[in-house]
Amino acid sequence: MLEFDGLHKSYGANRVLDGVSFAVAPGSMFGFCGSNGAGKTTTMRIAMGLVRADAGEVRWEGRPLDQALRRRIGYMPEERGLYPKMRVGEQLTYFARLRGLDAAAAARAAEHWADRLGLGERRRDQVEKLSLGNQQRVQLAAALVSRPEVLILDEPFSGLDPVGLDALAEALLEQVRGGVPVVFSSHQLDLVERLCDAVGILARGAMVATGPVAELRRREPGRLLRVVVPDAPPGWAAALPGVRVVSERAGDTLLELAPGADDQAVLAAALRTGRVGHFAWREPSLVELFREAVAEPAEVAA
Amino acid sequence: MASGPRTPGSAALVRLVAAREVSSRIRDKNFIVSSIVILVLLLGTMAFQVVVSGGDEPSRVAVVGDDGRLGPALEAQGESVGVDVQVVEADDEAAARAAVEDEEVDAALVDGTGPAPELVVLDRDPALEAVVGGAVSGLAVSDRLLEAGVDLRSLPEVAVVPIGDQEDDGQQVVVAIIGVVLLYGLLILFAQFVAQGVVEEKSSRVVELLLATMRPWQLLAGKILGLGLLGLGQIVVIGVVGVVGALALDLVDVPGELIGTVAVVVAWFVLGYAFYACVFAVAASLVSRQEDLGSVLTPASLLLVAGFFVALQAAGEPGGTLARVTSLVPGLSPLVMPVRQAAGEAAGWEVALAVVLMLVAIGLAVRLGGRVYSGALLRTSGKTRLREALRAERA
Repeated sequence: MLEFDGLHKSYGANRVLDGVSFAVAPGSMFGFCGSNGAGKTTTMRIAMGLVRADAGEVRWEGRPLDQALRRRIGYMPEERGLYPKMRVGEQLTYFARLRGLDAAAAARAAEHWADRLGLGERRRDQVEKLSLGNQQRVQLAAALVSRPEVLILDEPFSGLDPVGLDALAEALLEQVRGGVPVVFSSHQLDLVERLCDAVGILARGAMVATGPVAELRRREPGRLLRVVVPDAPPGWAAALPGVRVVSERAGDTLLELAPGADDQAVLAAALRTGRVGHFAWREPSLVELFREAVAEPAEVAA
Repeated sequence: MASGPRTPGSAALVRLVAAREVSSRIRDKNFIVSSIVILVLLLGTMAFQVVVSGGDEPSRVAVVGDDGRLGPALEAQGESVGVDVQVVEADDEAAARAAVEDEEVDAALVDGTGPAPELVVLDRDPALEAVVGGAVSGLAVSDRLLEAGVDLRSLPEVAVVPIGDQEDDGQQVVVAIIGVVLLYGLLILFAQFVAQGVVEEKSSRVVELLLATMRPWQLLAGKILGLGLLGLGQIVVIGVVGVVGALALDLVDVPGELIGTVAVVVAWFVLGYAFYACVFAVAASLVSRQEDLGSVLTPASLLLVAGFFVALQAAGEPGGTLARVTSLVPGLSPLVMPVRQAAGEAAGWEVALAVVLMLVAIGLAVRLGGRVYSGALLRTSGKTRLREALRAERA
């Protein structure tokens, strides 16, 4: 188990983390969401020993992370960093050796990962000669090359084209199948929803929601009803009791029902307008869950 | 992939970092070019010396009727007053005179051991006259004394005690100046390499990835050690080429002292480099772009430049107050002290004190510098103030 336990961090008067806690099981993928400046990067940097927490700790298999344990973690920083003038293969070998592989094993691992992420042809090129997307792949390879027990990736998908994105997703899923817990942060919520076993939403320095996406959906109190009534006049549902119109476009209407409001009364009203093409409860997407979770008080500090 | 990752110790990490520095720098164009330029300059200087001192030909003296003692006596006398004498046998007086007229020899000594010795010259040459006069009268005196039964072995010999600026030391000072110029150049070059490396890691953000696997001091130590070994290798190569070249071209009189001076310069390079590399690295860690490097390196560079000029001044006046004081000041001592040591002006306790003060300064630079370095490394925006970096905390 990779446990983040009660992390607090302030920079002067600015409280960045205010008790962040969550756990990631081995062999599962955890999506870490939050607005810009919510504290995702700080949380990950604390785990990697780059920032010291004011309180709380991060544990792997029950032991607080120290320098030796951290060498077993593959890390991809938010601000990508590689030696621009070093060749891809040498660079990967170097990072593998820093994490404890011997020279021969490191060279083999570097070759393996370069091939695996489609960089086989570019192994002898300097990193600065590569496109940004390819540099991103090298960065990921640098995180994977030492056969890490844990992966912590800050915005690994940003800046990738769809092909690169699929390759990266596949590589991560393979790690998960091998029993590695993977934590990554992302703003691409559809991707998080598709890949992750569990998500955590960070807002104002604390986790406002954690758990599997399906479970978060069930917890969501608001009830959305989608009704498609092509022949209805605009504003057909506005007067129904306990019903708020979220959106309405050419009869495709999204309604939010207050607790106790009667969905059958909505159906009856819809039928009165003519043909009903669609009538169903709508599961909130992660984007909606995210908005709901993040936007609670009036304004969120960006 | 059979063997799993093990946790590398500090020594292994430092070694890995050092190896990377060496292998990436050795392929760097600036490094290759600077190495070649330095060697070419050194060889050029020596070639110049050969040309300049080439006019110093030995004086040739033709001797008529030598009984086997006159030649060695002339050469010995010449050596003692610094005139290179080459003795040529002549068959008779006429042949000797002809040789002088044809300028095959500078002078001809006729009847050197007889009652009326004569020196035939084309133009007068006081030095040569003194040599010949000394040799002839010396032989005559010892002959007369032997005839009178005086035991020459009991004559006291004069022990020479040099106390002032000796000509021999002058040559060592020249070697030391060349050494200091090289020392200065290499210190600047390699301290700059360290500084550029630190900024490269900061500006490319790779430092975050590095610090996730090692402590800042390990990174700093590896970088300084790696480049330091490269610098040491370079100055040793230069020293060996210089010494071998100087000996082969016969530019120095006392090889032992030359080697001693070169060794002193190399030793001071090690101390100077340790200090300046650390100071430059720490200064560089405060900025995030190569463009800002100049401004933070200025104070330390000025110290180095000051040391260089004081060292040149000290070559002229190695016993002066300025030279004596600055040769003890950490940071200046690596440049000034070698010159004073070569001039034979530095007392043993002064050298020892300078080394100790320098070691203390290095210790302080490493300790304080390490703190600033770790505090500033992850601040990749703009310029960090020294005080902020000292206060900054890190896990």
